[in-house]
This record gives sequence, structure tokens and C-alpha cells, in this order.
Amino acid sequence: MTAIPLMKGTLDLLVLKALSWTPMHGLEITSWLEQRSGGELSFDDSGVYQALYRMEERGLIEAEWGVSDNNRRARYYRATKKGRAHLDAETRQLVRYGELVTGILTATAKA
Amino acid sequence: MIRPGIRRLFHLGSRRHDLVARDTADEIASHIEERAARLEAQGWEPTAAKAEARRRFGPLAEAERELTRAALRRERRLGLRDRLDAIAQDFRYAWRTTAAEPVFAALVVVVVALGVGANAATFGILDRLLLRGPDHVREPRELGRVYATMNVPGRGPFTGSSFGYVCYAALRDHAGAFSGVGAYTRPNETTLGSGERAEQVLQADATWDLFPTLGVRPALGRFFGREEDRPGAAARVVVLGDALWRRRFDADPGVLGRTLSLDGTTYTVIGVAPRGFTGAELRRVDAWLPMSVRGQRVADDWQTTIYAQWLRIVVRRQPGISAERAGIEATAAIRPVFAGTEELLATGDVSVRPIGFNGAGDEAMEAKVARWLDAVALVVLLVACANVANMLLARAVRRRREVAVRVALGITGARLVRLLLAQSVVLAGLGGAAALAVVPFASRLLRATLLPDVDWSGPAVDGRTLVVALALTLGAGVLTGLAPALIARRGDVLGALRSGVREGGGRSSRLRTALTVAQAAFSVVLLVAAGLFLESLRQARTVDLGIEPERILTVGASWPRAERDLLVAPAVSPRDRSRTFYATALERALELPWVESAAIAVGTPFNTSFAVQLSVPGWTELPDLAGGGPYIQAVSPRYFETVGLRRLAGRDFAAGDRGGSAPVAIVNQTMAATLWPGRQALGACLVIGDPATKPPCAPVVGIVEDAHRDSLEEPPAMQYYIPLGQEQGFGGSRLLVRPRPPAATMVEPLRRRMRGVDPSALWVSVDTLQESLDPEIRPWRLGATLIGVCGGLALLIAAVGLYSLVAHMVTSRAHELGVRVALGARRADVLALVLRRGLGLAALGVASGVAIALATGERMRDMLFHTSPRDPLVYLAVVGSLLVAATLACIVPARRALRVDPATALRDE
Repeated sequence: MTAIPLMKGTLDLLVLKALSWTPMHGLEITSWLEQRSGGELSFDDSGVYQALYRMEERGLIEAEWGVSDNNRRARYYRATKKGRAHLDAETRQLVRYGELVTGILTATAKA
Repeated sequence: MIRPGIRRLFHLGSRRHDLVARDTADEIASHIEERAARLEAQGWEPTAAKAEARRRFGPLAEAERELTRAALRRERRLGLRDRLDAIAQDFRYAWRTTAAEPVFAALVVVVVALGVGANAATFGILDRLLLRGPDHVREPRELGRVYATMNVPGRGPFTGSSFGYVCYAALRDHAGAFSGVGAYTRPNETTLGSGERAEQVLQADATWDLFPTLGVRPALGRFFGREEDRPGAAARVVVLGDALWRRRFDADPGVLGRTLSLDGTTYTVIGVAPRGFTGAELRRVDAWLPMSVRGQRVADDWQTTIYAQWLRIVVRRQPGISAERAGIEATAAIRPVFAGTEELLATGDVSVRPIGFNGAGDEAMEAKVARWLDAVALVVLLVACANVANMLLARAVRRRREVAVRVALGITGARLVRLLLAQSVVLAGLGGAAALAVVPFASRLLRATLLPDVDWSGPAVDGRTLVVALALTLGAGVLTGLAPALIARRGDVLGALRSGVREGGGRSSRLRTALTVAQAAFSVVLLVAAGLFLESLRQARTVDLGIEPERILTVGASWPRAERDLLVAPAVSPRDRSRTFYATALERALELPWVESAAIAVGTPFNTSFAVQLSVPGWTELPDLAGGGPYIQAVSPRYFETVGLRRLAGRDFAAGDRGGSAPVAIVNQTMAATLWPGRQALGACLVIGDPATKPPCAPVVGIVEDAHRDSLEEPPAMQYYIPLGQEQGFGGSRLLVRPRPPAATMVEPLRRRMRGVDPSALWVSVDTLQESLDPEIRPWRLGATLIGVCGGLALLIAAVGLYSLVAHMVTSRAHELGVRVALGARRADVLALVLRRGLGLAALGVASGVAIALATGERMRDMLFHTSPRDPLVYLAVVGSLLVAATLACIVPARRALRVDPATALRDE
């Protein structure tokens, strides 16, 4: 089975979800996403950084230089209050959307 | 932990493009390395692990480029947001510290409010008079008033702005330089309606093209057009002014097509002018009538005569035509009108000047006064700023420890300056807001006193005033905050931390001293200006005019005019009707117990004067005096005691001196001295009237003192009086009444009494003679009161400043004073020490103020009346009051210094 390409805009949300647990650096986020999707989502690692920079600019996350577990300089990201609110709202909307679309597509014809 | 945002703030300055790029590259590199390390840990070949990590990252060069771009954008955006955050934080902090010292804040706010308020109020006037011009006028800079200058032999050049219709027509038909030409009359009082509902309104005549020339559009209906203003076939139509439309017609749009009566003639309303439209000048106009309807009232040949000049002319210059060029064109157009008849005018020059100029072609007196007021208000603001800066400095000194702690904790200099600036801007902003609450009142008062004739229907505070007030407020905030902020920044941190507040910083105290001296100097300048105006006012009030205008009421009446096309003659001739009215009115007035005396006069001082042909035996030609004349008046008995003229010799007219009786005359002092020097004037002979008709000799029966005819200042002129009823060739009576109580309070009672005299009269007016004089005295009264108020404010502010400085000195030197007392200094010594310091500063300020005033006072000379700009009494009074105020300001802190307890002071150590 081949991996599914990401729908536009969902990567931001997934990254934000990852950061809602704990501050992480880029690779940690990437690994978290791979684990969670069981490798079924296909994306370039650079896409994660694009998402991070974009969201930082919008004030959804903050960043700070730190040292990784392997003693490397790494940029640690963390969701802001605004980011969490954004995640909640977007998640609710996406779930509703998914249910609706699924409902329509899987409906059996009725007489 | 410091917020990342704040940290970024301090690093961002050095983080330029390459730094961001390096960080981004670092982040990518460490991602790939760590990924490879993890793969290796899972058992990958080192080279393969590296390749896989790269593959998973995506196309590396492109990703790096794009990520760098994104990172740069992000940094720019975040940097801006952090800066805004920091500024908001500064203002929150400033607000907290302001609220923590409410008394201090209130003082500053009041001082700033006074300064900004004075400026905003005067700006409104200056804007209208000098900058903006009349409302609803398109491109006022292209417009100009037409003036004629002629060179009168022996009298020098004379400039006027009155023209005949014939000049207007010549300009209008002279194509080229002008895109529009219009003529108008100044608004005159006219009776609207009749009977109980009758009222006086301001009515102006205009040629139809005045409106397109000004570029105005009607609010309702239309203005009259070319056809309605055609000479000989004009339509009886009227355009209402907005104020009258609202007042009399309740702003009813259905007013169009209705008729109304003006001076007894019926007109149809065809339009309403927009609110605030006053034509090319600033005085209110209630009704506009076509020139061609009204021209007949001036003369039968009003279209062609060169001898009736009652119009003012505005022109709109074609784009690219300078005022000089326009003047040359206008001269070329108008000179031929007078060629061969009036040489003076045919060789005169015509010029085009700004529409705001007065009748004589100069900048209006009000504009000059407004300009002065604005300068004065600016000085008040500067004094206020100096004072606020002073208070902020004092506070900065009080808070040296706090500032020092902040500096020690690593706050940057720029941030500290910003923090302190934020505080002064918050204070100034509060002051500006307070000012805006007061400005509407102040400017209404100012407008009513400075320019009561101007139509002020706009809002008291408009957008332009608001912008000016805002700019001044911000300016005041920055100006007052900058000095303390810069000093605080340079402050010696360690010294301040060690020593506390006792020793005031040398730099800041020198600056405070300078500011205090400057305040005193500015208030001296303002007070001198106010004093000079006050002295002018006093001089103007005490000028001996001969007559006593403040004691006299004048009564006039108007009737519907007989139409020229009316074939039936009216039952009573207008002359008889008027004569009967005034005779009855005089009787009724004399019946009133509060009337001291009353008389009828043809020719009233400050109103109308007449001259007729006069010959005197012994003189082939009468001498030409600088004041002109001789002027003639026809008066009833008791005229002289009514107006307050002293009789110097001979008798007054008696009841027997009237129309038909033997002619007699009374002359004034100047006439007696000029025509019969060293001889007895009584019994001398005046031959009044055209010599061809061989008028009889009128013997001089009395001599009275000179009376002013027209203005406060005029050279002596010959005047003579004949009995009422004997006048030939001139007319137009007035009743003059001298009440016992102050004249101004008796206007209404007299009007009530006079209204019943003749029910057929359209309108009976009762005015004080003083009203005619008021516009002349107004500039000085205005200057004296307004500059006086400003000067008083400045003095108060300066006194507060001096007080706070001396008080501060006493507080900070309490220790030293205590030691002095402990060492045996007497109370007088301590008192002298404090007073010497305070009064020394005040004296320095007074001296520099006097120097400035002496140096600049000469510019005021032409605004003063019979007062030298170096009037020693004024200077003495100002210096005295300043020193008194300074002493008062020093005494309170000085007394406190005396109470310093030496024991406490010593223990404090």
C-alpha cells in the first residue's frame, strides 16, 4: 500500500497537534507524525519546517534555541495560547467536515 | 524565564539577513544529522543513513532557499509585533505610574490643557481668517478682490474697493485673464415682513455670475441666472441664507415658490444657499437679491454712471495668471471707463488682492489680531511645556533610584528614554483631552468677541482644529519628556544607587533653573503686551470725542419704499411722513421721566456727515483742513446738551429757529478759530448753498466745542450747525436721546415706546451710539482681555514653577539648612538664603523678559493707540507684579525651611 499524500492545510494542524503535548524540535515532530500515521502519510521533512515557520509568523507557536538529547543545537517549538485555540477550532471543523463528507459518500441509495 | 519575544527584541537589531540564513541552515543540518544518527542506530550503513535522511528531507537546495525566505519574513513580522508589544507595555507602565501620582498628574494635565486649549481655540479663528477663507468657495487662492489705487495730489495714494456697475461690466467683458467676474454689495440691514413679525435681516445684492465665480452650489433650489439679473427686466426673486431659512421657515423645503416682503417689496424664493455660505466675505447674509432689481435704488442710470460706486468685485483668475498679471489686465479694462471724465481714476492702477483683505486693500485688523493671538497662545504653550518639563525633571530626580535600579538591571538606554517619553506623552494626551473639553467654550467666546459679524455656523471644533490640537499635544509630550529622559539616561547609575535622592543632579538642576527663568521671561513678555493693549484701551476710552457716545441712543425708522413704477403718488410725501414721525417721537421721548434730553438731527456723528457749498465773506476760497469739511448738520434745539457738546459762546437754537424762520448758524471751535482768527466769530456771516441762488446771510449765533464725526482719531475739521428744517439739499433725520440711566440698558424700553409712534413704519431701530464706535475699540479691548488672560495664565504657571523649584531646593537641602541652624544661623539668615535663590531666579527671568519685550515691542507700535511700546508705567507694573508673585511663590517653601529641625537633620545623617 502506498502512502497517502497530505491534504492541503492539514500538515499545519497535525504539527500543532504534536506541539500541544510538549515543546519539540523539528525532527521530534516529524518522528511523532510518522509514528502516529504508521508511515501512511507521505510528506517531505522540509514541509514540516515550512509549516513551523508559517505558524510562528502567525503567532500560533513560539520557538527558542535549545540543546537536543544528542547535544546538538536545536530549535524547540511550543504552541501558544492562540495556537491551542486555533487547533481546537480547526479540529472541530475538520471532524465535522469529515463526518459530513463520509456520510454523503457512503450513503446507500434509498427508494 | 524571559519570554523568547523579549529576548528576540534585544537580539534582533544585530540579526540580519545572513544570521537568519545561518540559523535556518543550522536547523536543517542538525535535523538531517540527527535523522541519520537515528537511522544508524536502527542498523543502517552510515553513508546510506545519510543519503536516506537527505532523501526524506526533500530537495535540499530548494527547501533551504524557501525556508530561509520564510524565516526572514517571519522575523520581520515578529520583530514588528514585539516592538508594538513593547510600546504597549511602556504605555501601560506609564499609565500605572501616572495614576500612582494623581496630584502631580492633575497639575501637569491642567497646565497642558491650558496651553493646548488656548492654541486650538485661536487656531480655529486664524484658520477661518487667513488659511481657509469663506466656506463653499472653490479654490479661494484663484479668487481676488479688485482694488483701485489713485494718486490724489497733495494727499498721496488712496486705495479703495468700491466700484460702479460700469466697472464690473468692463471687467466682465474683458476676456482673457479671468474665468469669472462677480459683483456684490456688502450685507445691509433690511426689514423682512411687516407689523409684529417684522425683523431686520442682512441682505446683499449680487450679480448672477457671483455664484459661478465663487463656485458655490445651492443647498436647495437654484441661484438666480443671467435672465433674472438682466438690467431693465430683472425678476423679483430671492435666495435665502441658511440661517434665515432655518429660523424663519423652520428649514421647510417647501419654501421654494413662496413669497416674502423685503423693505415692502415682494420677492419669490427660488433657492437656499448652503450652510455657512457668506459670499466672498465672512459676514452673514440672510437674503441675496439680483443686482438688477436693486440697482434702481442707487440711481436711475446705475448701469452706466461712473459716479455711483457701491459694489465690490471679485474675479477668478484663469489658471496660470498671476495676481500681478490679473492687475494689469484689470487696469487695462477699467481705465477706459473713466477716460476723459475722471482723470484720477483714468490714470489709477487696478490691482487684484486676496479676498480676505479689507476695504482699503490691507490685511484686516482682525487677521492681525488673530495672528498675534496665535503667537501669544504658542508662547503660553511653550511656558506650559517648560513647566511640565520642569515637573517631570523634578520627578525624574525623585525617581533616580528607581531609574538607577532599572539601568543596573540591564535596561537599555533607548528603552529607558522610551519609557520616560511614554510617561510624558500619556500626561500630555490627558491634557490634550481635557483641552478639547474646554475648547468649544473658549472658541465660541473668542469668536463672539473677536468677530461678532462673521458667520460662525460651523462646529466650534472641526477636523482641522482637532488635527492641530493632536499635533500640539504630541509635540508637547515629546518636548517635555525628552530632556528628563535624556538626563535620566546619562545619569550616574552607581552614584545614584549609593547616595539616594538628597543631592539633586547637577545637570538636571541647571536645566530646571534655565526653564524657570525662561518661564518668567515669557510671562513678562506676555504681560507687557497685555499691559500695552490695556493702556491703549484706556487711552481710546478717554479720548475726548466732544460728544459722549456711551450716553446716547439713536432712533431711526424705515417705511416701505414707494415703487418707481408706481403711478399713483403716495398719500403722504416721504419727507412729510418722516418729519411727522420724528416730531412725534421727540415729544413722546421727552415725556419719559428717565430721558434727560432729546433732539433731532440730520447728520449723526459716526453715522452720516454732509457737506454743502459754503461761502464766507472775506474768503475767496475756504482753507482746506486735514480733516476735510466744512461739514454741516441740521439740528433741533437742545442737540448740544443731548450729545454732550459744551457751548463756548453765544446761544443754542431756540424753538423759533426752524424752517422758514431767519437763517442762523452755530460753528465749532476750529471753524471759529480758522475763519475769524483773533476776531469775534459771533455775528459773522455764512452763506450756505449754491451762490447762484443768492442765499441769504446766516449770522453765527453760537460757538461749540469740536466733535468727532467718524473715528477715534481724526484731525480737526470745520463743522457748523443750522436749525432743523432749514437744510437744503440733504436729509435723513435721526432722533437722539440722552437717558439718565446707562444708555445700553434703555434700548428696549425706548424701542417699545417708539414702535407705537407710526404703525405704518416697517421697522424702528434703537441703537446706542457707542455701537458704531465699538468696532474701532474692539482690537484693543480684545488684545487687552485675551492677551491679559494668557499673560495671567503664564504668570500663574511660572509662579507654580518657581514654587516647585524652590520647594524642591528646600527639601533637598533640608539637611544643610538644619546644619546651618544647628551651627547658630539666625532665622533671618535662612530665610534670606532661600529668598535670595528664588528671587534671584525671578529677577533673571524678569530682566531677560524685559530685554525681549523691549527688543520686539516696536512691532506692536501700529497696533497701539496713543501708547508707546516702551511705556514705562506698563513695564513698571509688570515687573512689580512679577516680583510680588515670585516672592509669594518663595515664601511658603521658605517658611518650611525655617521649620527644619536641626536635631532631625543631623540624626538623618
